[in-house]
Amino acid sequence: MSTQPHILVIDDEAQILRALRTILTAKGFRVSVASRGEEGLTMAAAQPPDLIILDLSLPDMDGVEVCARLREWTQVPIIILSVRESERDKVVALDKGADDYLTKPFGIEELLARIRVALRHSAQSIGSQKSQIVTAGAVVIDLALHQVTRNGEEIKLTATEFKLLAYLAANAGRVLTNQSILSHVWDPSEADRVEYLRVYVRQLRKKLEDDPDHPSFIRNEPGIGYRFMVDE
Amino acid sequence: MEFHPEVIIVSMTRPDPLGRFKKFPGMEYLLAIMVTSVFTLIFLPFRSAEGQDHTILSQLYLLPVVISSVLWGLGPGALAALLSFLALNYFFVPPYYTLLVHRTEDLLVLIVFLGVSITIGQLVGRVSKSLSDSHAREREAIHLYELTVHLAGLQDEQSIASAIAERTLIVLRARRVDVLVEAQGQVPAHHVRMEDRSRPGQVQNETPTYLCPLQSSRGLLGEIQVWREGVSLGAVEVRLIGTFASQGVTALERLRLSQAASRARLLEDSDRFKSSLLSSVSHELRTPLATIKAAVTSLRSETVAWDSEARSELLAAIEEETDHLNQLVGNLLNMSRIEAGALKPERSWNSLADIVTSAIERMRQQTGKHQLEVDVSGDLPLVPVDYFQIEQVFINLISNSSKYSPEGTKITILAQRVDGDRLQVTVSNQGPHVAEENLERIFDKFYRVTAADKVTGAGLGLSICKGIIEAHDGRIWAENLAQGFAFNFTLPLSAEGFPLNAGQEIVDE
Repeated sequence: MSTQPHILVIDDEAQILRALRTILTAKGFRVSVASRGEEGLTMAAAQPPDLIILDLSLPDMDGVEVCARLREWTQVPIIILSVRESERDKVVALDKGADDYLTKPFGIEELLARIRVALRHSAQSIGSQKSQIVTAGAVVIDLALHQVTRNGEEIKLTATEFKLLAYLAANAGRVLTNQSILSHVWDPSEADRVEYLRVYVRQLRKKLEDDPDHPSFIRNEPGIGYRFMVDE
Repeated sequence: MEFHPEVIIVSMTRPDPLGRFKKFPGMEYLLAIMVTSVFTLIFLPFRSAEGQDHTILSQLYLLPVVISSVLWGLGPGALAALLSFLALNYFFVPPYYTLLVHRTEDLLVLIVFLGVSITIGQLVGRVSKSLSDSHAREREAIHLYELTVHLAGLQDEQSIASAIAERTLIVLRARRVDVLVEAQGQVPAHHVRMEDRSRPGQVQNETPTYLCPLQSSRGLLGEIQVWREGVSLGAVEVRLIGTFASQGVTALERLRLSQAASRARLLEDSDRFKSSLLSSVSHELRTPLATIKAAVTSLRSETVAWDSEARSELLAAIEEETDHLNQLVGNLLNMSRIEAGALKPERSWNSLADIVTSAIERMRQQTGKHQLEVDVSGDLPLVPVDYFQIEQVFINLISNSSKYSPEGTKITILAQRVDGDRLQVTVSNQGPHVAEENLERIFDKFYRVTAADKVTGAGLGLSICKGIIEAHDGRIWAENLAQGFAFNFTLPLSAEGFPLNAGQEIVDE
């Protein structure tokens, strides 16, 4: 039974804990729950989980702080749960090292998809055998050769466009904040120039997407940033 | 708490004709002596050797007496009378240049002159004094009137303090006047300083010449501090500044009372708002809850075996209603922010196409029975807006359109650039018209075109749209189309810190 991934859920709402425990157990995960931040940190240290689901509003401490303290010693994937009104906290938590987020109320299929992406990512980074080829529908991105093809035809990208696409594709499935994209692809000093990002995303979508107005690869994450979707 | 007053320094330059003549005590008496001497010099050449009738001369000598009494008061008048008497005796009554008198009638004339001149001098002096007193009272009344008129229209404490300081400075010809109004509740303290810069030198930390408290029936509000050189304040001036102070207190109290009254009115309004919100919302919350409860209890019921189609129908209803509830909660939060004046857009450069896409994504359940046509190009310029607030506007407009237009009809969303400096968005549907006179009112809180129970909705959606669009310096309006109904709103392409075209001019390498 040790092959079952272990998920730790830290949330102060008993109903959410009950629902998540039932659903995730049924989906084949081993689930432990904590209703306070300190308790969660202790449990994470005692029995390191494969993934943590963390609510941002906890009675004893800020979820952002829990996230920061976990990151001091572990790279375990963290998925943030929050309400729509705390966008700022969400961005802070993601910049502090959280891997993904979900807005309450959420659909369970969405949560399961996020869990799968996060677990796959951590498995990859542990094995440190990151794929150099990313495939998204008809688009194939070769990170090593700096080559992008669509339906087998090469697509010409500018240097910045490729850098942006490469960063998004290397983190496929994960949400990336505007700030982190800007400071990786441009420069940390330009982390506030969201307008650059918007313009380049638009250009990339025009070159890659079938319908740039309804993008299927470079998805928008409202108020947060972008997520590159690949075939599961 | 430390006292950090705001100091306003107003320099005044005004002509001060009297300021050049440095007054000193006793000057009036000196002037009386001079006038009498001048008259004596004028009379001397007309003196005849053999002596003359002193009656004319004695009447002429009343002139310096009257002049002195009128101009300089009773004391100098009396002095002039005495001097005239002596001069008359010394220069004009034989034997000349002595105070001796030979003739009895001369002595009589002199004594009568002295008596008459003193009496006339005193009478004239008294009349002139009471005249000047009444002039002073008139001036006082004018100053007071001016201050009252000035204070009447003022709506903030700073200007009231300034008005008092200015009047006091002018009326008292002071060097500097400070008016201090102490803080009260949330009203900050005020400190206004007026200085007459037309005179050299400045008042350094000296103690004020005069202090007058701003005393109201409910306590000390502040004080007036006056710095003036030389003469200390006379009784009239003290009385005047006292009246200024009480006028100032009245103005301050009037202001504070009216502010308290408007605060009370605001509270009352917000109270009324909250209770209508509560009644509207509780109804609104129960409807989806009732559906959810009914669906869930049906599914859990062991007496009925649901076929898979019925099951999925019930489950779809639950999901739809939870989305509905979530949307309602979002609107409530926005409404309370608008009411609290806390709806500040967190602007950043956004693509309207992205916003519309995610709004439609979130509305998929509710718009399933309508055909949605979207013409919002990603090539439109970026707009500096709050993503979530504008998304909420789209959600509310689409939700409203789907509620009020028949199933199966079209809902169209169109965005275009107008006049170069803004985007105009039109959300139109094929629903019924709204009477022209109600086109404005549909954006009011709790206003609904149809009777409350026919269509679900708290009547909040459109007023939230209006609040959000206006917070973005845009405009929102509704119009009847030939076939259908449309909402329009505009969004400026620039904002403070977001210059026009900043997001559009990025040249790729």
